[in-house]
Amino acid sequence: MDTFLIDGQSVTFEPGENILQAALEADIQIPHFCYHAALGSLGACRLCAVEINPKDSDKNARVVMACLEPAQKGLEVSLSAAAAQQVRRHVIELLMINHPHDCPICDEGGECHLQEMTVACGPSYRRYRGNKRTFPNQDLGPLIHHEMNRCITCYRCTRFYQDYALGNDLGAMRLRNEVYFGRFQDGPLENPFAGNLVEICPTGVFTDAVFRQHFARTWDLKTAPSICPHCSVGCNTLPGARDGTLRRVRNRAHQELNRWFICDRGRYGHQYSEHNTRPLSPRVSGINTDYRSALAAAARKIQAAAERTGGIGSVREDLEGNVMLRSLLNDLKGIFTAFNDPELEAATLTAVSRMQELDNTPHLAALEQIDAALITGDLTVHAPMIDLALRQAWRNGAKLAMLHSSVAPLTQFASTAATVAPREIHDMLTQLYRQISRQPETNDAVTQTIKTIAATLSQARQPLMAGVVETSTAQDIIALAELAKAFEPAAQLIYVLPGPNAYGAALLSAAGDTVSLLKAVERGEVQTLIVAGSDPFSEPRSGARWRVARQKINTLIVLDCIATATAEAADILIPVAAWPERSGTFVNYEGRAQGFSTVFHRPEYLPSTADIISEISRLLENQLCDAASMLQDSFPGFQAPTPGTPGVQISAQHLPIRNNELMQTEPYSSDNGWQAALTSWLGDEPLAGFSPALTELAPPDTALINPESAARASLKSGSSVRLWNSVYSVETCVQINPSVANETIAIPRSMLVRLGIGHGDSLNLEQLV
Amino acid sequence: MEAILTRHLDQDNPQNLAAYQATGGYRSLNTAFDLKPEKIIETVEAANLRGRGGAGFSCGMKWRLRGADAPSPRYLVCNLDESEPGTFKDRYLLYGAPHAIIESVIVSAFALQAERAFIFVRGEYAKGGHRLIQAIREAETAGLLGRNLGGSGFDLHIDVHLSGGRYICGEETAQINAIEGKRPNPRPKIPRPSTHGLWGQPTTTNNVETLVNVPHILMNGAEWFRRLGINGGCGTKLFCISGKVKHPGVFELPCGTPARELIYKHAGGLDNDERTLLGFLPGGASTPFLLPQHLDVPMDFDPVAEAGSRLGTGSLIILDDTTCPIETVLNLTRFFARESCGFCTPCRDGLPYLVQILNAIATGNGSADDLALLDELCSTIATQSFCAFAPGAVMPLVSSLKDFHEHYEQHIITQRCPFDASRKEAV
Ligand SMILES: Cc1cc2nc3c(=O)[nH]c(=O)nc-3n(C[C@H](O)[C@H](O)[C@H](O)COP(=O)(O)O)c2cc1C
Ligand code: SF4
Ligand code: SF4
Ligand code: SF4
Ligand code: FES
Repeated sequence: MDTFLIDGQSVTFEPGENILQAALEADIQIPHFCYHAALGSLGACRLCAVEINPKDSDKNARVVMACLEPAQKGLEVSLSAAAAQQVRRHVIELLMINHPHDCPICDEGGECHLQEMTVACGPSYRRYRGNKRTFPNQDLGPLIHHEMNRCITCYRCTRFYQDYALGNDLGAMRLRNEVYFGRFQDGPLENPFAGNLVEICPTGVFTDAVFRQHFARTWDLKTAPSICPHCSVGCNTLPGARDGTLRRVRNRAHQELNRWFICDRGRYGHQYSEHNTRPLSPRVSGINTDYRSALAAAARKIQAAAERTGGIGSVREDLEGNVMLRSLLNDLKGIFTAFNDPELEAATLTAVSRMQELDNTPHLAALEQIDAALITGDLTVHAPMIDLALRQAWRNGAKLAMLHSSVAPLTQFASTAATVAPREIHDMLTQLYRQISRQPETNDAVTQTIKTIAATLSQARQPLMAGVVETSTAQDIIALAELAKAFEPAAQLIYVLPGPNAYGAALLSAAGDTVSLLKAVERGEVQTLIVAGSDPFSEPRSGARWRVARQKINTLIVLDCIATATAEAADILIPVAAWPERSGTFVNYEGRAQGFSTVFHRPEYLPSTADIISEISRLLENQLCDAASMLQDSFPGFQAPTPGTPGVQISAQHLPIRNNELMQTEPYSSDNGWQAALTSWLGDEPLAGFSPALTELAPPDTALINPESAARASLKSGSSVRLWNSVYSVETCVQINPSVANETIAIPRSMLVRLGIGHGDSLNLEQLV
Repeated sequence: MEAILTRHLDQDNPQNLAAYQATGGYRSLNTAFDLKPEKIIETVEAANLRGRGGAGFSCGMKWRLRGADAPSPRYLVCNLDESEPGTFKDRYLLYGAPHAIIESVIVSAFALQAERAFIFVRGEYAKGGHRLIQAIREAETAGLLGRNLGGSGFDLHIDVHLSGGRYICGEETAQINAIEGKRPNPRPKIPRPSTHGLWGQPTTTNNVETLVNVPHILMNGAEWFRRLGINGGCGTKLFCISGKVKHPGVFELPCGTPARELIYKHAGGLDNDERTLLGFLPGGASTPFLLPQHLDVPMDFDPVAEAGSRLGTGSLIILDDTTCPIETVLNLTRFFARESCGFCTPCRDGLPYLVQILNAIATGNGSADDLALLDELCSTIATQSFCAFAPGAVMPLVSSLKDFHEHYEQHIITQRCPFDASRKEAV
């Protein structure tokens, strides 16, 4: 590789790199503001001034901007040259003319790029004698605090927000030294990645409004590498805690996953662990007690029930907790499953088995390089950072085709998008398969949409198929996988799984155990049920069944860190440590096992799930080995990945490829042909649901119906309706939304739960007068 | 001298299509269509037509360097943003002869084989812009625009873009952003607009006055055009003269006419004969001062540059010995501080700093270190800004520090303005 010199030090560079990039990669700090690795060079701040001495020429040394000057072999660059230093000093002096110098009360203080640059380059004293220009601030909603006077006009915020995250409600307004970065008018920022403004802004203009409520200086925060528990992407995070409370979460770079950013659920969802309903003391029959008594009570109940014990692990429980619970149930000869819902179990296991089979699941950095994708469902909510990676692919020219039943913000960037009712997705995928493998059935009236999508994918160099497990049936998943296989070589395949450790949970589950357990409970064959980190009562499709079946259970033992409906109904409630309060392992959608560390301890004693199960088994006198050795039994050669490292692909036997004979739930057929679809929003996730800052932004609970279907049923926006199925009903009002498929009623999770139905199930609608 | 730029000019009642054609308008179209585009470019280059938008770059060379093989679509932008203080020549063309603009855009677009042209009109010239749009409709109806215009086989569509109204929109790349509907921040120097301009396509920008010369060059030849100038200049030029003169206005005169003749003959001399000339800006607000000793410099690009200034837009602003040069510079710097696009630090935050210091001096609050500070700040602002706006903005100031050094010192020592003591401000 070629090199150039910075003040005598040799620096290697890749062709096409500029001086600043190459220097930063070599860990030589050239002061800069507007350049950002994710956004590239801009040339606006003029802080990165260096002097260059052109070789082989009689030209004089000159000061240039390192971010705009291509690195060249043999070039002599000086950071220390007096001329370059003077420019940098002037730039800082100019930027500080209007700056309020309010570091002592600024949330950025101590981790402020402007402070660092000023100390590094700037004059220590002020020469400017005039008045400062001041700005009003805006109310940008519950997530971000705005303090415009601190702005140095580096344009990073708009470049991130508009160019990178493709948001359109924040931008630069006005001109001269009055450029204003904000919204057209006050109001919450709409982009799901808005929280990154906090980190991308090199000053204290955009700061974390949640952190601000309970602020601590950065040097007082305890931090340790963690993994985001709010979806299956597994973004790397750096939580910060002080005095036994969690204060904030920031991005931690992972070169293949979230490099510089995380989504707003990842940044703000952490409020669940500080929520005032969080269980912090064990409870037996509604009475607070200590761990020793609670565990002893639990052990007695389990002992009494023996093989009539059941266990439910969780897609949001770590590998360690799940494997311990499974082993305990093995010993007891009871049934274990990591899922609450038979269909979700089938869908997740199918998805994992198909990703294992194709062995071609891209990480986020690779996703940015794809040139075409077929996406079914709403990635923005179910895997926000996959959505952000696809936005980058779109910026690079990728064509996105989308099939969706309800709102899916990524459709803004789709070259082809079709709304399809949940139960018709499978048929669409099958038609696409035929079209792509050139076997259109005779008389098969192939729609233009199918033709366009097929053409887009066929012409692509690197097509991607991406689906969302939570809103797919196992059959849909098989169809998408077969479609991926129809390409040569097979297309890349991603299934967004229903939890941060859904992949791991699937590897520890046996197909069909969820339905077996549910039926056993319904038949009264389970006396004691242990639920770890899961909320079967709030499951859309099966929640109603669990709630009824609960009457047949003698003792419900729940281990969790949030006050779920199931936890509220527990006979024995055992609080556990939240994610930043313990260490463990999650396996993300790629099958990448990543470790997380204990960041801090709360004042209360809060063991991990694995610790509690180990203690119960000790009390039962059938001592389990520790989680680590049990994981080695399940996954040959398993070594818990060290937190802070990129993680490892989990070595596991491939799950059997099934064609899904298991799932024969007879769909409830409605009288008037409506299907339910899940419509979600960013905070719709079990943990984040306890984050007040996020829930404040929840859309109103309504039934979304598209204009044609609404017209046919004589419904208008605001019409009051009753939705019902065979047993339950809810009343709500209609909102017209063109992103919803025909004959589909898109409703939030809470309404599905109340109705006891899932995405794709039938329901009835009746207009109320 | 033969007037070419002002030939059809009528500010009150501009010629409609029929009248324009009856007096020889649109004749250059046939001349042009009989020629190969490369031949037209060659002629324009031979005529030594230099850009009238400020920089004086050879128009023919710019066209040739874009290359005949530039990929389609190719765009031509006619720059009629004219917002520089003291410059009001393009306005005369717009209000007085809209068809002359259209004709020159057609033949220039033909030379460049551009299928689409934009005329970017200063926002405050809205009325003129509407006249221009009307004229375009007339030309379209007459088949002089659109597909196969005038039976030539050449297609051209012209759009008028009425500016949202900021000085920076006159800068070529900021203008491209503005036409695309973006913030009018200038673009990086590389890639150049000639290859990656509007929507990433080859784009050529010329000042409207530059273009209005082209039909005449085509009809009369390069040699004829060169001979219109004097003292080494080529062609004629619209000179704007303003400030302390008897008859401020726009004058079409040979390129190379000496400043003395412009000021004392055509503009009638200083408005008060008792006064003497203090100095003048030769090329608009963003050029260095010239002094009485420069009165015989021919007003053409190279001689003015040799005298240490720039011909710029050929707009002379005259100061007599009752005009405070510090106040003048303050006024101009205020304008530029106000018009900075806000993109880069030296310009955005440096110009207001200069205003603050100049204002202190002008109002009797200057300090002994201020002149060195002005000089120091200007060195960074002039050399380290992102676009040509800021270097131009500090040119009058930088030259005034030298040319009017005593005036500055007097302000600072006496702590008041010698021209107007009432300007004294309490600190
Ligand atoms: C700050 C700034 C403002 C400008 N304003 C104008 C303008 O109003 N009109 C104009 O023709 N050129 C203006 N220019 C020059 C243009 O960028 C461009 O060079 C010119 O239009 C090219 O035309 P020409 O070669 O025919 O002169 C400006 C340049 C700068 C740096
Ligand atoms: S708000 Fe922050 S990121 Fe945006 S321009 Fe100002 S300093 Fe830069
Ligand atoms: S994309 Fe998923 S893993 Fe990443 S920050 Fe958001 S919720 Fe967390
Ligand atoms: S020099 Fe001034 S006008 Fe030009 S980019 Fe910088 S701020 Fe904008
Ligand atoms: S980092 Fe180079 S100009 Fe801002």
